[in-house]
Amino acid sequence: MVFSSIPFLFFFLPACLILYYAVPFQLKNMVLLVFSLIFYAWGEPVYIVLMVFASAVDYTNGRLMERFGADDRKRRIFLCSSVVINLSMLGFFKYADFLVETVNSLWHVSIQPLGLGLPVGISFFTFQTMSYSIDLYRREVKTEKNYLTYLTYVSMFPQLIAGPIVRFSAVNEELHQRTIDREGFAEGTIRFMQGLFKKVLIANQAGALWESIRAMEAGSVSVATAWLGALCFTLQLYFDFSAYSDMAIGMGRMLGFHYLENFRYPLSSVSVTDFWRRWHISLSSWFRDYVYIPLGGNRVSRWKHLRNILIVWFLTGLWHGAAWNFVLWGLYYGVLLILEKYVWGKQLERLPLLIRHGYALLIVVFGFVIFVFDDMGQLASYLTSMFGMAGNRLFGTEFLWYVGNNLVLLAVALLLAFPVYPFVKERIGRLESKRFAACSALSAAGYLALLFLTTAYLVHDTYNPFLYFRF
Amino acid sequence: MDERNKKVADRIRQVTAALLALIIVGFSCAFFFSEKVDFSEGENRYLASFPAFSMESLKDGSYTEGIRSYLSDHFPFRDLFMGVKAETEIALGKREINGIYIADDGYLIEAYAEPENTERIVEKFGKFYETVSAEGVSVSLMLAPTASVIYRDKLPVFAPEHDQMETRREISERSGVPFIDCYDALMEAKDGEEPLYYRTDHHWTSYGAYEAYAVYCEEKGIRPLDLDELIKKEVSEDFRGTVYSKLNDDRLAKDTITIFENPKNRLTVYYTDTGETSDSLYEFSYLDKKDKYSMFLNNIHSLIEITNETADSERELVLIKDSYANSMVPFLVNHYRKIYVFDTRYYKKGPSSFIREHPEVTDVLLLYNMNTIDTDLGVGGIY
Repeated sequence: MVFSSIPFLFFFLPACLILYYAVPFQLKNMVLLVFSLIFYAWGEPVYIVLMVFASAVDYTNGRLMERFGADDRKRRIFLCSSVVINLSMLGFFKYADFLVETVNSLWHVSIQPLGLGLPVGISFFTFQTMSYSIDLYRREVKTEKNYLTYLTYVSMFPQLIAGPIVRFSAVNEELHQRTIDREGFAEGTIRFMQGLFKKVLIANQAGALWESIRAMEAGSVSVATAWLGALCFTLQLYFDFSAYSDMAIGMGRMLGFHYLENFRYPLSSVSVTDFWRRWHISLSSWFRDYVYIPLGGNRVSRWKHLRNILIVWFLTGLWHGAAWNFVLWGLYYGVLLILEKYVWGKQLERLPLLIRHGYALLIVVFGFVIFVFDDMGQLASYLTSMFGMAGNRLFGTEFLWYVGNNLVLLAVALLLAFPVYPFVKERIGRLESKRFAACSALSAAGYLALLFLTTAYLVHDTYNPFLYFRF
Repeated sequence: MDERNKKVADRIRQVTAALLALIIVGFSCAFFFSEKVDFSEGENRYLASFPAFSMESLKDGSYTEGIRSYLSDHFPFRDLFMGVKAETEIALGKREINGIYIADDGYLIEAYAEPENTERIVEKFGKFYETVSAEGVSVSLMLAPTASVIYRDKLPVFAPEHDQMETRREISERSGVPFIDCYDALMEAKDGEEPLYYRTDHHWTSYGAYEAYAVYCEEKGIRPLDLDELIKKEVSEDFRGTVYSKLNDDRLAKDTITIFENPKNRLTVYYTDTGETSDSLYEFSYLDKKDKYSMFLNNIHSLIEITNETADSERELVLIKDSYANSMVPFLVNHYRKIYVFDTRYYKKGPSSFIREHPEVTDVLLLYNMNTIDTDLGVGGIY
């Protein structure tokens, strides 16, 4: 079930919240668990077993680590057991066929691929439960003694299928004790709505535009339109992905949880390094804390540092999907980060701000072209259009048609991709109280109107994709 | 933000959140209490019914997907929401919505989709022609261009419209069926006073059909009737057709349906599939419904036999067609004692054997419009 859908928004979520608020605190986790399992089973009625299994494994390893608290050798065995089981699951369901196909094409053999469907959200929940085992091994969190509570953490529907990757340490205490109040509900609702509007009114529309440009033949799309398409996909992915995080954070807040921010206006970055501090923060910090730093981070010889960066970015790329373009996309960033670190980082900082924004945006938009085509042939063909090597023109009337039809959409999307909203909000906050109240009331009316509009779009959704099936 | 503003902000946020929640719960309640219908007049289609449960359908996801379609198909105020969406998109500068161009003068014009079945059409027409012309009947083919080419100058600027004329040429040349081209006549008449196509429907009007009829007559050596010789009737002024149904935006224009009747005609219209007989080419009860164009020849029938005792010749015509022809038949009946009207989507026995069994048939006309010839499966039944 995706958040931006009629069943979720008008039936599942209200039912869950009403029950959640109605029961006494001791039962709230139980309500959450039951609804989360229904939520997952709605889309994955079979693979739900995997999720329950993965959390049982980590719960058990956690209890065993606690039991042998003094014996570090034994604790390490349980840690290994958790990590190995999780990675094997991920490897089997997500990467087995990728491996088979790669082996087949390299050695010209024909091993039969398994053809398993990818369990939705497996990359998110395996990373979450691994964070628990590793933190436990490092003695950074307390052992969870109640399996159902642990399962509630792993399966919690707001972040189950599209992130953010919420570490156990972040919600450990709130799983047992949290404040659920009107303020939290109000803040959470508003945040959820922002995400919903972003997804339905911006991401889906930018996505539809991208799809129609993508469908054009290489020779008939002009260079300008090809770049417009790349920009549209960038906007789609950013608004879609960050909208999911907004909705997750919002629903978490309604339920009394505080999740960490996952996106901080990544398209307004001034460098690649800056971008990765703002894009999918929960993933990059996961790799930083559990891979990069354990490998020695930057406190090693230069060659080892380069190696560490490339390992982390190889894995980051691969995490996004079992295909070579994702690896390429990861390494593209690995190399660019190394270049910024060791070659042009200092010079870059001296450039005018506008140029730095342009530099980062160009790299990001180009990167997402690598990201979106999991077929190398299609990628190559689109790139030839982008650089005018497909015999295509620089500019065509179709560019004007697309821009003219979507002018408002593109303008609003670009504005909201930069921190314009917090800026305006801060300005309004400084108004004297009468005007402030008027502005706030106006914005409230805006929310109501946008909810109606979003409903209209949901009832007649021609294009409402879930982009994270490959994650 | 100072203390006082913060307090106001908190209060307003809570009220907003409460209202948003109320709207959502309101819609869910309205869903449970609203009456469910099977057919949407507004969208002109059957709505999804609640899916039947089975382990299989749960496993492959079709069960939950079915619930999703059921919920959105029966969502309260569905038609209204469709209009809201269309109106918003038009206001935001969109000139193409769901494959419909928002064109000048209130026209909604269907975009011509990339043709996919040209090969098959050419083959079917060719085979049919080979078989039937051996029987000694005169066969001709007419492909009606749609509004997107005749009213090209009404399309929004830079609209990326596929060229249907190229496909039209290909079908007519490669199939070998003698071709009657109504394009020039329509182009000549397009700036006249009367509209050749409906603004909200994918069909041509009686005026458009008349232009094509006149060209047909000329080719066949028949003297076409002048419009003045017929009685003109405006039977509806609030027609909103199939193209409108894809937007459902109340603020868009309405169409007038005009028909032309010859009072001298003595007609017997026999619907072979239902067994009904009528003395009129029209079924006026459709004018009270959404789908008003269906008044021409009573909507869809696999085979209709039309006899006109006062026709100016003894010739008999087999008309194999889509719904564009329904508004041309009122002109054609004046010249044929008998017209057999085939809808090959539903007539399964193949009209060529019918023609063999009816040696009195003298002429055959294949009449399709460029849009549905490719998207509809009707051509498959020709041969």
